[in-house]
Amino acid sequence: MGADTKRTVRTGSVGRRPVPTRSEPEEFLHALESVSNGIRDPVAKLRFIRNSLGRYQSLDRVVRSVPLAPLRRALYHWLSLEGLRHLRDTQVLAGSPMPVDVATHVSLAFGRAAVIGLGLALGVWAGVAAYRHTRPPAEPLMAAPRRVAAPAALAPVTDPASSAVEKAAPGSLTTAGVAPAAIWLVEKGPQWELYSNGLRIDTALTVKGTSRAFRVFDLEGNLDAHVYKAPVGLLFHTSESDVWPLEAAYNENLRGTSQGLLRYVQKNRLYHYVIDRFGRVYRIVAEDSKANHAGNSVWANAGRVYLNLNHAFLGVSFETRWEGGKALPITQAQLAAGRNISDYLRHRYQIAPEMCVTHGLTSVNPKKHLIGHHMDWARGFPFAVFGLPDQYQRPAPSVALFGFDYDDDFLKVLDQPWPGVRTAEADLAREAARAHRDVEDVRYQRQTAYDRWIEKQAGDDGEKTEPPAAAGEVSGDTQGALGRAAASTSRPEGLQ
Amino acid sequence: MDERKDHLWKVAQEAEERIEDLMKAGSNPVGLDVGTSKVVAAKRKGKEIDTGAQLNAFIPVPWSRFTETILGQNEISYYRENDELIIYGSATEKFANMFNANVRRPMADGLINPKERFAMPVLEAILQTLVPKARAQGEILAFSVPAATEGHEAQLTYHEATLRRYFESLGYKPVAINEGLAVIFSELEDNNFTGIGISCGGGMCNVTLAYLSIPSMMFSIPKGGDFIDDSVGSVTGEQATRVKVIKEEGLDLSKQPKDKYEKALRIYYEDLIESLVEKLKTSISQADKLPRADRPLPIVLSGGTAKPRGFKEMFEKALSARSLPVAVSGVRMASDPLTATARGALIAALYEK
Repeated sequence: MGADTKRTVRTGSVGRRPVPTRSEPEEFLHALESVSNGIRDPVAKLRFIRNSLGRYQSLDRVVRSVPLAPLRRALYHWLSLEGLRHLRDTQVLAGSPMPVDVATHVSLAFGRAAVIGLGLALGVWAGVAAYRHTRPPAEPLMAAPRRVAAPAALAPVTDPASSAVEKAAPGSLTTAGVAPAAIWLVEKGPQWELYSNGLRIDTALTVKGTSRAFRVFDLEGNLDAHVYKAPVGLLFHTSESDVWPLEAAYNENLRGTSQGLLRYVQKNRLYHYVIDRFGRVYRIVAEDSKANHAGNSVWANAGRVYLNLNHAFLGVSFETRWEGGKALPITQAQLAAGRNISDYLRHRYQIAPEMCVTHGLTSVNPKKHLIGHHMDWARGFPFAVFGLPDQYQRPAPSVALFGFDYDDDFLKVLDQPWPGVRTAEADLAREAARAHRDVEDVRYQRQTAYDRWIEKQAGDDGEKTEPPAAAGEVSGDTQGALGRAAASTSRPEGLQ
Repeated sequence: MDERKDHLWKVAQEAEERIEDLMKAGSNPVGLDVGTSKVVAAKRKGKEIDTGAQLNAFIPVPWSRFTETILGQNEISYYRENDELIIYGSATEKFANMFNANVRRPMADGLINPKERFAMPVLEAILQTLVPKARAQGEILAFSVPAATEGHEAQLTYHEATLRRYFESLGYKPVAINEGLAVIFSELEDNNFTGIGISCGGGMCNVTLAYLSIPSMMFSIPKGGDFIDDSVGSVTGEQATRVKVIKEEGLDLSKQPKDKYEKALRIYYEDLIESLVEKLKTSISQADKLPRADRPLPIVLSGGTAKPRGFKEMFEKALSARSLPVAVSGVRMASDPLTATARGALIAALYEK
């Protein structure tokens, strides 16, 4: 009756394993129990629990280092599920090969799939990392913002080839050897064309766009009744895509970046031609279609004024980054190919040399009446090598005709405007002086004229470019319309 | 003695289960509940568990050629010991009632009875009816052992070592498992082997608290069915064997006692349960390595002594009168109180395999 007894844990071999005490995390035990609940055989369950507890210390040492509790719980759960796998081959009471419920079966399968997926991802990551580790250390230049913050930050592309070209005498590429008497199509394949000046055009990616159709203003602001179908000018661009060193070690990067650029240009119908870093010329948008390359832009020649040049001009883009124009950013191959495509297009469409210009010289912000909205080739285009007049010296039509100005951001990139801007500003000043007016009045008057012209063109050619109002004169509704107009004509980010 | 008795051992026809059929399944692990009152074997048979039991008792009768012939003709388990015939196993109770004598037990208070000179020979004879020689050397056999009572640790060591040696001689690899833990293995699978298992047998009550199958606290009290039978017999003047029959013929502790036997039985059952619950409370209170349980623990009752109707309610009443240091989700009877320990031992054997 009431004899004294004693607690003991002496139970032979069935009771020897450690159990986590209250000082140890409950996450493991919760995961263990949640998995254990899915086991339908007592022996299998007992074996699972005992084995899991036996592995507890080694598991916990690893999992405890995971800082996030949900991740830690998931890891405990997965590790517990993994502990079930040995049950396939062990003897259980019911003799079932895998005495677990359907939910646990699903969890097992999902867990294994997740691990395989993670393993593959890690494998790919490791492969890429290993590959990159074997490459010389270099980073591609990132896509430049529309306005570059400061010239000092603009490291010129130190491409030995381009540096060499920069030092070359103007016109040196064209003076040696025999030039063809004319440029004609020598041979044509299913995806290429070869011309007599050596130009080879890859046509595999060519797509059609909106048919070209445009009208031209005279200096009085009258729209010519004639609708033009053929291009009348060339506009040179830079792609502003990543640039890799022109070295064999980066061959894969060079090829990959080019292919990505071409797909992007094709998808958005950005340029008629792209010249990659190896000088290959790709026709992307058919020549009888407009490309979305110029945006809001102004050019004039021989008494004719061209507003928004997508239709009137063919777009030729060099795969490179302009980077302020302090160095020539293109390769020798690109330079030669650029000259060839320029000659070919000028020859084919009888384009006047004065109508071959760069995007940076024509791009404007119609809302603020500023030049240099896009600035690719705003300095440094080798017009002489292309056999073209130096358009930087030509009075800027956007300034001379429409009184456009520039701001501090513009000067941060270029230090000072190109000479043609200065010339146009001087003309404006002289005109103001002659009329005894303030130069700003003259500018304002001309900017207002631009707004009217562009409104007239918008209603005429279906460009869907809303007429920008003069700064400070727009109503709320017009301002909204301008915003939409800017969006509709803006170039995609990363490309200028 | 061994040499002389070997040829006399027989398998009793009246054994509660035909254990030899059970063992034909081949070399499989065996679970064995070696209790003071009964020995129960459990073995896997297909997807089910088969069990067989023998009364762990004997009664010597004087030898005569006629008696031996009658025993042989009726396939009663017996062996001859000098001028006595030792009748053992489940037939013992009939003979005890027939001769109005108390049965004798090879075990007392859960251990080999040190005061019984026939203890081991009879126990071996009884065990052999349930556990023949292993067909495959090293077959796992898990057998139950009680938790040691204070001052009897050496006896438990002797008990366990003696049984272990015997099973090894039969070709088994024996594994000892605590009786209360075996109950947890068989009955608390749905709780991931977390809870309190109680086995109330003939010699003692064993209690184990386990968390995720790991025993955290265990104890036993030297009170069981024999204590009740002896106590009732002593106050009523009836043979303990007869009291046992009364008890097992349908005692209902939830009803008012009909006679002096039931009244006495109720008194001693209450005493046993009060002792058990009080000891449970103090043991849990004094335990220094109890794991933190984030939910109440279930209690499962098993053993022949817990079988009478009303035992669970009486236990719950005693439990509710005390404040246990751990929350209890409920008290329930084992699905089969007589075989719970053996089935748990079989799970332990299969686990060890």
